[in-house]
Amino acid sequence: MSNLWGIVFKKELKDLFRDRKTVIMSVVLPLVLFPLLFGLIGKGVKSTTEKVTKEVKIAYVGGESSFKKFLSNVPNIKLIETKDYQEEVRKGSVYLAVVVEEDFDKKLAQDKMSDIKIIYDSESTNSQTALDVVEDIINKYKDEIVKRRLEARGIDVSILNPIDIKNEPIDKEKANQGALILTMLLPLYLIIYAITGPMAAAVDLGAGEKERGTLEPLLTTQASRMQLLFGKLLAISVMGIIGTTSSLTGLYIAFKYSMDFMGDVGLNISIGSLILIGITAIILNMIFAAVELAISIYARSFKEAQTYLSPVTIIGMIVAYGTYMMDVKSASTIMFNIPLANVSLIIKEFIIGIYNPVHIAITFAWALVYIIAAILFARYMFSKEEVVFRT
Amino acid sequence: MIEVIGLTKKFKEVTAVDNVSFKVDAGEIVGLLGENGAGKTTTLRMISTMLKPTSGTAKVCGLDLLKEPDKVRKKIGILFGGEVGLYDRLTARENIKYFADLGGLSSEEANKNIELLAEMLDMKEYIDRRVGKFSRGMKQKVAIARAIVHNPDVMLFDEPTIGLDVSSSAIVQDFILDCKKKGRAIIFSSHSMREVEKLCDRVVIIHKGRLVYDGRVEDLRREYNGEDLEKVFLRLVGDKNE
Repeated sequence: MSNLWGIVFKKELKDLFRDRKTVIMSVVLPLVLFPLLFGLIGKGVKSTTEKVTKEVKIAYVGGESSFKKFLSNVPNIKLIETKDYQEEVRKGSVYLAVVVEEDFDKKLAQDKMSDIKIIYDSESTNSQTALDVVEDIINKYKDEIVKRRLEARGIDVSILNPIDIKNEPIDKEKANQGALILTMLLPLYLIIYAITGPMAAAVDLGAGEKERGTLEPLLTTQASRMQLLFGKLLAISVMGIIGTTSSLTGLYIAFKYSMDFMGDVGLNISIGSLILIGITAIILNMIFAAVELAISIYARSFKEAQTYLSPVTIIGMIVAYGTYMMDVKSASTIMFNIPLANVSLIIKEFIIGIYNPVHIAITFAWALVYIIAAILFARYMFSKEEVVFRT
Repeated sequence: MIEVIGLTKKFKEVTAVDNVSFKVDAGEIVGLLGENGAGKTTTLRMISTMLKPTSGTAKVCGLDLLKEPDKVRKKIGILFGGEVGLYDRLTARENIKYFADLGGLSSEEANKNIELLAEMLDMKEYIDRRVGKFSRGMKQKVAIARAIVHNPDVMLFDEPTIGLDVSSSAIVQDFILDCKKKGRAIIFSSHSMREVEKLCDRVVIIHKGRLVYDGRVEDLRREYNGEDLEKVFLRLVGDKNE
């Protein structure tokens, strides 16, 4: 009789996996969303930049000058003569216009300051990209003039650079930007996925069962309410964990193959850390699975369940974003008593390879308390006649 | 086989079922008759251990539902009216098998019973298809099979023909008569006097949670000089309304 929850669990998983909607929402979509999104953004950014920098079309306004000569010697710059440069920039037929004052060379020769005005379109990404390119060129030209002026006075250029800053990470092997980004993003994603992952299943197995009218016959079987609850809870948790896994896989693929414009972020996390992070993710999923199932059981219908569950998402996200910037190295032990914040902090610690037994013990003890509380909450809902027969 | 003893259920201030007692013997069909909201469903839910009585109890095959709810559930099969409540994404066989498993049957027993039921209810053709696209009548048969797959001694029917067309109603009615033949004790709730008259040996009429009549259908008719039973029902219920 004790394996009745196992029968419930198996049936619920089978049922969930036959639901195309649930499978798409919790397995397929998370897997392809980020690679697709990042891929498209990456491709878009790349192609725009490439197109503009290959041939930077600029309108030159003003007479002959040494700057014009300098500019026309830059290989990817194409100077276009035009009278109505403002209109051309607005239309986008040139990316920007460079307006050089009449006595530009004369002023330079007198060691005075000369003006170059750049007219660009603040609403056009092409114009913005061209602006970066042209500013770079002007700065190079400026440096050349400064160098010439100083040399004329017999002064070494290095006088302008009295300090040379050299950044050296304390721990060269560990110095990876990836870990820092990961300590910010991974806890956030794991919390959000733990909330959203089990949701579709929780709605289906709680309120859905009520709405379809299958709950009542189920209550007349040999399975006790706790057995039904455990079977369902486990199935929902599994769906959540699958959801988290496929989301993270999607994210990994996105980072690995689509973010080439961001450069190599170089990650090195130990297997031990990965296992601990995995356990934390499973616990998170179970907590939210229980809470969501309890709420879903209370609801009369799919729609009602979805309405009640949206605040859970929002509250979870607020907490998750609250811990986003939290620095784990300066976090006090007391912080590990704050719900969700402690989970977020412990994941951060695992990523950078800190295994503080006190922190781990406190966080996991609390996690156990949350799980038990969430299950008791779900059990309370499941055993209350007013809730179960609230149709 | 079923003995209802002073069964009472209060929901906050409202007394849905008020001190109801009656008996059902093996091979007997008892009609539980009453208007909507009279307390029929609440009574059946208490007998099937889904709801806890506020006071009173019932015995099913000698088992007290307060003391041994699990064993009571094993003896009971229920068929609800309205939505049949099947899992659309499972096949008919999987639907029935799920309840057989949860009813504590061994795999061989379950499979044997399912084969027999498929034969009896003429479902062989579609037993391995998903029920989502079934017609109402097909779904009704699956629901029947599910209710009885664990061979219960007692069958509870809660307005099982509500919203059914003539042929689907006939399937259910035939099934009820078949249960009687097999010696099961049957409670059949309805608000239709005609259906009760057709199927039942005895009738228990409840109104606003209270029992107002318990006796044989013929006796009821005799008592009211062969009057139309629909009118008798209205008079019984009407008397109490005043």
